[in-house]
Order: sequence, then structure tokens, then C-alpha cells
Amino acid sequence: MGRYLARRLAAAVGVLWAAYTLAFAILYLLPGDPAEILAAGGENTDPDPAALEKLRAEYGLDRPIAEQYWDKLWAALHGNFGVSVTSGRPVTDVIKDAAPSTLLLTFGALAAAIIGGALLALIATYPRGAGLRQLLLSLPSLAVSAPTFWVGLILVQLLSFQWRLLPAIGNEGWKSLVMPVVTLAIPVSAVVAQVLAKSLLTELGSPYVEIAHAKGVSRTRIHLRHVARNAAIPTLTLVGVLTGELLAGTVVVETVFSRAGIGRVTAAAVERQDIPVVLGVVVFSAAIFVVVNLLIDLVYPLLDPRIAQNGARA
Amino acid sequence: MTDLSLTQVGLGLDRDEPTPPTDAALRGPSRGRDLLRLLAQPGLVLAVIVAVLVLLAAFFPSVFTGRDPLEAVPKDKLQGPSLEHLFGTDQLGRDLFSRVVHGAALSMKATVIAVSLGLVLGSLIGLISGFFGGWLDFALMRVVEVVLAIPSLLLSLAIITALGFGTVNVAIAVGLASVARFARVMRSEVLRVRGAVFVEAAKAAGARWYEILFRHVLPSALGPATVLAALDFGIAILAVSALSFLGYGANAPAPEWGSLVAGGRTYITSAWWLTVLPGVVVMAAVLATNRISRAVDGGRSRS
Amino acid sequence: MFTARSRRRRPRGTVLLAAAASAAVLLSACSSSSGGGEASSTDGAGTPVKGGNLTFALASDPVCVDPHQAATNDSIYVARQLVDSLTDQDPTTGEIVPWLAESWQVSADAKEFTFKLHAGATFSDGTAVTAASVKANFDSILKDGAKATLAGPYLGGYVSTEVVDNLTAKVVFGAPSAQFLQATSTFSLGLLADSSLALAPADRCTQALVGSGPFTLKSYTTNQAVVLSKRAGYNWGSQLFTTKGEANLDTVTFQIVPEAAVRTGSLQSGQIDGIGGVPPSDEAGLESAGFTLQAKRNPGVVFNLQANTSRPVPSDPAVRTALQRAINGQEIVDTVLSDKFAPATSVLSTTTPDYVDLSSSFTFDLAKAKKTLDDAGWKAGSDGTRSKDGTKLALTVIYSPIYGPSKDALELLQQQARKAGITLNLEQVAVADSAARIAAGDWDYFWANLTRADPDILRTLYSSTGANRGKLPATSDLQTALIAQAAAGDLAERKALVEKAQKLIIDNGYIVPVFELTTVLGLSPDVHDVRFEASSRLQLHDTWKTS
Repeated sequence: MGRYLARRLAAAVGVLWAAYTLAFAILYLLPGDPAEILAAGGENTDPDPAALEKLRAEYGLDRPIAEQYWDKLWAALHGNFGVSVTSGRPVTDVIKDAAPSTLLLTFGALAAAIIGGALLALIATYPRGAGLRQLLLSLPSLAVSAPTFWVGLILVQLLSFQWRLLPAIGNEGWKSLVMPVVTLAIPVSAVVAQVLAKSLLTELGSPYVEIAHAKGVSRTRIHLRHVARNAAIPTLTLVGVLTGELLAGTVVVETVFSRAGIGRVTAAAVERQDIPVVLGVVVFSAAIFVVVNLLIDLVYPLLDPRIAQNGARA
Repeated sequence: MTDLSLTQVGLGLDRDEPTPPTDAALRGPSRGRDLLRLLAQPGLVLAVIVAVLVLLAAFFPSVFTGRDPLEAVPKDKLQGPSLEHLFGTDQLGRDLFSRVVHGAALSMKATVIAVSLGLVLGSLIGLISGFFGGWLDFALMRVVEVVLAIPSLLLSLAIITALGFGTVNVAIAVGLASVARFARVMRSEVLRVRGAVFVEAAKAAGARWYEILFRHVLPSALGPATVLAALDFGIAILAVSALSFLGYGANAPAPEWGSLVAGGRTYITSAWWLTVLPGVVVMAAVLATNRISRAVDGGRSRS
Repeated sequence: MFTARSRRRRPRGTVLLAAAASAAVLLSACSSSSGGGEASSTDGAGTPVKGGNLTFALASDPVCVDPHQAATNDSIYVARQLVDSLTDQDPTTGEIVPWLAESWQVSADAKEFTFKLHAGATFSDGTAVTAASVKANFDSILKDGAKATLAGPYLGGYVSTEVVDNLTAKVVFGAPSAQFLQATSTFSLGLLADSSLALAPADRCTQALVGSGPFTLKSYTTNQAVVLSKRAGYNWGSQLFTTKGEANLDTVTFQIVPEAAVRTGSLQSGQIDGIGGVPPSDEAGLESAGFTLQAKRNPGVVFNLQANTSRPVPSDPAVRTALQRAINGQEIVDTVLSDKFAPATSVLSTTTPDYVDLSSSFTFDLAKAKKTLDDAGWKAGSDGTRSKDGTKLALTVIYSPIYGPSKDALELLQQQARKAGITLNLEQVAVADSAARIAAGDWDYFWANLTRADPDILRTLYSSTGANRGKLPATSDLQTALIAQAAAGDLAERKALVEKAQKLIIDNGYIVPVFELTTVLGLSPDVHDVRFEASSRLQLHDTWKTS
């Protein structure tokens, strides 16, 4: 178990470093002069050549890219991701302030997606009639095809302005969380439902279910006890990826629902080409991915003891 | 939108274990059987019709409407859907149906660029990685894993930050963000095919490595990547529309599906059709491509 | 409260005008503001109620609420409530009245300004507002340099402040600075406590901001909300305040709501009490549902397309004047805006001093536009765009998405121009990038307005020593008129020069005037006495809510 964990931890650090490097490569190596972007992004900066040179020197942009990379990486290792070009605040502060509300939204949506998706999968695979089953199983593809921003706008219009059930804006109270969570969760719950339904159907066809049937165990009981538990493992594998996608989805959802958070910070940073902030957000999302996967790795051996022994999973 | 990249998981496209190869899969089933199977599935028929309509709109918008999508008729502004204006008119009195039809061109252009970029670049990486193996494979796959650890929308946003705004840049951003998915699928197929009898035979016959790679391995391994491309179409439509909704797409007044929804939201209280109808069209297009890609995938594994 | 009488200097016309004028020179970034003009706000809804919270929606995060640095409407709305100014300006008469200063004296050469402060005013950290505070603030603004976007220029030529005694400060300039007295009434020169001034400019933006104003900064949550609470014991308000002593409201919450439709919807469903920049399409709905629309026509330069005369196509005067004739401002107002707006009738809006009606020089006339182009050799082409010697009549128009309806207005304008065979290619430029983009000069027309209550704005924008985005020649009748009006001692003389300048700008087609901006607030019927102060921002001291 200890070695298993150590290896996972080392891999996690590797992913973080690689994510930083990748984001750095995208942001600093792709065409586009960061100095010009900086000059344009800051207020009252006069983008004449001299000022640009000064900026390049100030941000170390006149030095070889490899040197810049090592310097920035070294600083990042010490928790310093530079300062936002637009607000002048340290990137870590910007993210730290915005993170709690976004994480609440993300994990709220994750919970909602798993519960909603699981319920749908269980209900859809329960009926024996192929027609009803087919109908229920087609719901996820509908949900997955709707643009999130569009669903959000329509929810606001109906639930908040027409029927006045929930507040359309703000970060306070559970009520303001309902619509963003639902909007964010809809497509992801569809994915959960699809995966779970698929493995449920596989499990339902397996020999042990037939044996249980033969033994006279009730259908509902088989469905919930045996099948659902076995089907949960493939779903768990997905949670890491799902969390990342949910986190990215907040860029749209927070804009639609006027919520403060990482998503809004990101949208604004892209708008103003605030490179340090974008870099910080990418690393932040990689960190969340890594942490969630570490947690899953801890849960895995509990569900399936073979994993701990082999020290690896598929 | 963002989350769609996951449907491939649900559809079993992202599997690492290769499907058993059959000659039938390579040659494809007979046409007659195809058509029969198609007609037996009304959902699929509908999907094909929608997809054809969308493609038609993208290339020949005049088939659907003779109206200029940019022409403003102020006295007709904000009229609801009617026979005269199927989708109603917008705040400047422009025909929304015409804007959606003409918007298909820009949205499809971006989608096609994105998918092609992902398919070509991803397949190439997967091909090289799987075929040559060794440290190159190791290095490429570690990069792919890291890219997969970053949500694709976020990756697209980072690329847009570097490249700047515009339809083509949005398309490139969406395409690059999907490269890793294609690379992985392609690689696993190449690994499967590499050891196949006909490849070994070609090697024994003294074929050059590039001959083997492009004449034998690539055609056999391309199947799953094409299925992924079909599915990626839906993902790309949603990603492109999300980015154009956020305002990173084309300049005004060019209609793009995402920006049509974005433009209509100011009027959502007084003119619901401006937001709702373009959204419905996006959804229909995505549903259709997803349904078709599932059928293609099903066809492959069944035969 | 105000026992001492203010000694207002009524010198030569220029001084008074310049004073009334200097109200915030803002780039289009603040275009949705207003200053002076008809206020339609007063409601005799009875005695103000004490207490309660007012929630007002802002479209974007203020980023920096330090009054010395604030430069966008969203930041100014907040900053104004936090500080007091030495003086205040009557929004209807332009008259300067006492606030922190109970009286003042201006030297005959307008180089020395002596302010006598009230005793008893304190900052919210308990320290007293003294002559030393005045000195510390002005010195600090100078030190902030370019960060003090608006405040800096008000102190142009500033030499020093002498602390004559504890409550008397003498501000000295190196050259006459007649605009300075009015500038002291703006939030930009509002006073902060020493503890705030000791901080670096960036640290002053969102926290630890200590002023003497009717409200204090309670909390600032980025992208979410800024909460102010009433300053207990406040009793040194401006002479213009109708409520004496403390503010009526207990707290003010500036909620950040980026979506225009969500702002309107939230107001209608009672989730917020007030919104700025009401979308014209929502005006009727709000009004019929019983909401108050408070509107004010902005003074200054109207929304217009400014030509870049250094570019090949717009360097042709025929193109410029033809475009003026091809644009139908009335149609834009009717379609995109509302009856609270009006088509432009000059380069200046009707609420600006010395405005002159020049509408007959550029009335919409498509036939005339076409003829002008025909005569100048621009031949109609098969694709709808005219051309001349192989050059297409296609113009790049840049704009920033600051004012919501701009995009719709431009798209309509584009269609109008098209009917004359002129193609306008619209290019949106991020607000942050606009300054750089304007400087780059790779555009044919630039879309903007500029709010200021003085015609001197023409010199700021169009003289070769000013912004001169259009690259106008350094010597011309226009330049002479613009320079001369700034120095004109006589009101009538200045008026003549300003009228001449407006006429030259229009007749040369340097700009295509389109519409006059109106600031529109949407307020819940429970909200009363929201004031537009002279430089057009919100002043919430008197505001109250029926519970």
C-alpha cells in the first residue's frame, strides 16, 4: 500500500509539472508577442517601441525562452505564479479568492451528476420492455447535445424571472447554487448515465446474476445490491476527468449566472490576454485533477483489494 | 459542450483494448444491408436528414432562404416566428432563419477545421507513437496523458489567449484540444495492427518502413479514428458555439450559431425566439451527428 | 451647519466655463455617464426613511475603487460614496458650493487656491481631515503618476500645497489653472486618510480604503459584490445634500451582474433595487411594470464615427461627407435606442455649452450621398461596393463593447452605408486593447463618444496638440479656432469660436455624428432620491427606500 501511494504521488507531481510546461509552451511559444499583449492589457501603457523594450526587460521577455521558463518554474515551485497583468494582484491571490465558490459549484455539480446519472441508469435498465428502456436510454444523448450556455439562459428565464423560484444572481445561499449546479451537471450526468447503464447491462447479463435469479433473489435486490456495486467501478474511473470538465464548464456557467469564481476570472483573463492568470488557472485545474485522482486511487483498493496488491489499475 | 468529450467514454470509443479485426470491418458491409438497417431506425433516418440539411445550409444557403442575413428592416424588428419569418426577426429586423442558415457556414467551417486538425495531427502522432514505439512512444504518450488531464475547454481558452480571437483561431483551438484523444485511439489501433499477419508478411517481403506504415498500417488502423471524428463533430460544434458565445469568434455582424444565442440573450425577456431557436438548431445538429457516429460505430462492431 | 459663506469667484467667463467643464474627461470607457442636463429624478415621495440596504447592479467588476485611480463608471459609482471632496458642484447651475471646505479664495492669476476647511470632519479611522490631509492627497496623486488617470490631469502644473494652518491649505500652481476649482468637486480629488495614502496604489484598490465620505468600504469580493456601510456620525455633507447628517441607507451593495438581461430580470423580480445602463429594449417593459427610469442626456461629444484622415480612403473628403449623408441617425435611435435618445445634430450634444445645431449640414440624404461619390469618381461595383482606380470603398471601423447598444447601432449603420455603396467592416476591440489599437492607426473610422460638460472637449479631441486620433493637419482654421477658444476671455467670443470649430469639423466630414447618449437608470419604485451629481455619477447620500 505504501509503495502504491508513493508511486501515485510521484506521478501526480509529474502531471503538475508537465501541465505547467504545456501551458507555458502554449502561451509563450505560440505566435503573438507577450510584450505587446502586456502593453495593450495594462492601463495607460503606451505601446511605443521603447515602452515595449522596457516591458520585455521588466518581465524578462528579452531573455532566452528556456531561461524564462526555468525562472518562472522556480518561482512557481515557491508558490509565485507572477502577477495579473490587468489587476496587478498576485495570481495565487486571484485564484485563492475565486476558488472556494467555484469548487463548491464544481463538486456540487459532480454530486448532482453522479446521483442524477446513477438514478437514470438504474431506472432505465430496470424495465424489461425494450421500448421503454430505449426511450429512457435516449435521454442522456439529448442532455449531452444541449449547449450549456443555452440551457442556463433558459433556466434563468423560466425559474428565476417567470416563476420567481430561485435567485438568478449571486454567490450567497444554497438557493443561488441550484440553477448553476443543475446546468453544469446536466451533460455530465448524461455521461454518467451512459457509462453506468452500459456496465449495468453488461453485469445483468453475467453468470452470477443468472445464478442469483435461480436462487430466487428478487429482481430489485439483484439490481441494487450486486449489479450496481459492480457497475460503480467504471464510473469511479471517470470522476477525475468529469471534475476537470465541470471545472472548465464554470467558465460558461459563471458568466450566465453572474457568479464570482475561477470561471469568470478565466473568461476575463482570456478577454484581456492576461497570460499569467490563464497559466495559473490551467495549473490549478491540473492540480484539482491530480488531487481527485489521488483520492480515487485511495478508494480503489477498498472496492477491489486486488488493486492494492498489484499496485496498478487499468 | 465541454463535457461532451466524455461521450466517447460512454460509447466505448476511448477503449484501450482494440476491437478484433475482421476483413468485413475493413471492406465494409454491403450497401443493401446498410440501407435496410437505416430504414429500420427512424431516429437514425431523422439524424441523417438533419445532418444533410445542415451541410446543405453550410454550402448552399440559398436553397433554404433567399433573404440576406445582414439586411436590416427596422420596421419589422423583433417580430415573433411566422410564415413570413420562420424564426422571427431580430432587434434590427433581420430574418433570424436566414441568419441561422447562413450561420451554418461559419459554424461548420470552424467545426470542419477543428475536426480535421484533430484527426490529422492526432492520427499522425498516434501512428508515429504506436509504430515506432520505444522512447518516442513513451514520451509522446506522457504528453498525451497530460493534455488529457487538462479540460479541453480550458486548453482551447489557453490557445485562444495566445492566438487571439476569430473563427479560424477558435477552430484551431478546439482542434488542437482534441489532438490527444485522436492520438490515443490511433496508437492503440496501430499497436493492434502492427502485429497482424499481413503486416508481418509485408515486412518479410522486404517492404520499406514507410510503405508498411502508410500502405498497410494506416488504412487498417484508421477506422476507429474516423468513428471518433464523427463523434468529435458534435463535440466540436458545441465547443465552437460555446467559444463564440463567450465572444471569441467572428466579428459582427457575421452570424455564428453561438454568437446568435449570445446576441439574443439581451432580448430574452421580450423576444425568446432569438435565444431559443438558434439553440435548438445547435442541439439538433449535435444530436444528429452523435446519432450517426453511434450508428457508424455500431455498424463497425456488428459486422 | 455651513455657517461660513463661500466666496465664489465670478471672474472672466473662461474661468467659470472651464470650471463647469472639467468634469471628468473620460474616454469612451465612461460613455454611459452623464453630466449636467435635465435631471428627471426628483420624486416628492415624502419623508426619507432611515435604514435598509440598496442593491445596485454593476455590469463589471470595479477592479479599483480608489477615487484617485478610478476611471470607469463601475468603479466611480462606488468610489464616489467613499470620499468627500473639498467642494461640490450643482448639477443644474454648475455653481461650486462648499463641502469639506467652507470657503475658498482664488488668486487673480488663478495660480493659488486657498481652502478653509470645516473643523470636525474625520476620516473613518478617526483621524481628522486637516490641511495636511489636503497636501498629502494631492502630493500622493502626483506620485501615482499615470495610475491617477483622471485625477492626474486636474493637477497639471501643480507645484505644492502649503499648510497655512491646521485647517487652511494653499494649493499653488506654476501656471494659471482655472479649471482646478471645479476639479476639487470631483471624486477624483476626494480626500483619503494618511493610512490609505501610505499604501502602494495597487493595495488601495480593493481594501483598506479610508475616506471621510458618507459610506465606508465594508467588503469587496472580486467579481461578486462591493458592500458599503453607512458612516456613523457623518455630518459634514455637501451643501447640496437634502438629507442632513448621516446617509439614509444603512448599507449599499453593488452587485456585479455581467448579463444585461439578468440585470433587468433581477430588477423586475425584486432581487435588486437599481440598475445602470438599462437596455433600450427593456425600457418600455420596466416603465409599464411601474419601475422608475431616471434619465439624463450626456453632455460632450456625441456618439460618432471619427475618420482617420491619414488613411487612403477616408483621406478623400467626398467619402467623408458622403458617409455623413448616408447615415440615418433617426432610424438608429428608433430601432436600436428609445425615445429617451436623440439623433445627433452637431459634434457636441445639445446639453453642452455653446452647442450649435448643424443638422442641416448632414441630414440623411441617400441620393446626395450617392451623387457625391459618383462625382468624386467612386463607381458602383457589381458586389455592391464602390471602387475607384482599383481601390474598394471598404472602411475598417473599430469599436469597443463598452456601451451595450453600440454593436446593434453599428450593424444597422453598416447596412445604411451599404445602400450608398460603402462597405464598413466592423472590428470589435477589447476595452483594454483600445488605446493601443487607436494609437496603431490601422483603422479608417473609430466609434466612440466622450462625456464632458464643456466644449473644450473639442480641443482635447481634435486639436493637433490633443488626442488627434484623426491625424488632422497641424495648421488649419479648425486648429486656430480650437486654440483660441481655450484662451478667449469673452463669453460671446468663445461661443463664436466654438461654433466655428463645430462647423469646420462637420463640414470637413472629420466625424459622422450619430446619436446623443442618454444615461438611463432603472430603479425599483421603492427607491427614492438617487442623485446624479454634476459629473454624472451616482450620489447615494440622500437615497432612501420605502420598506
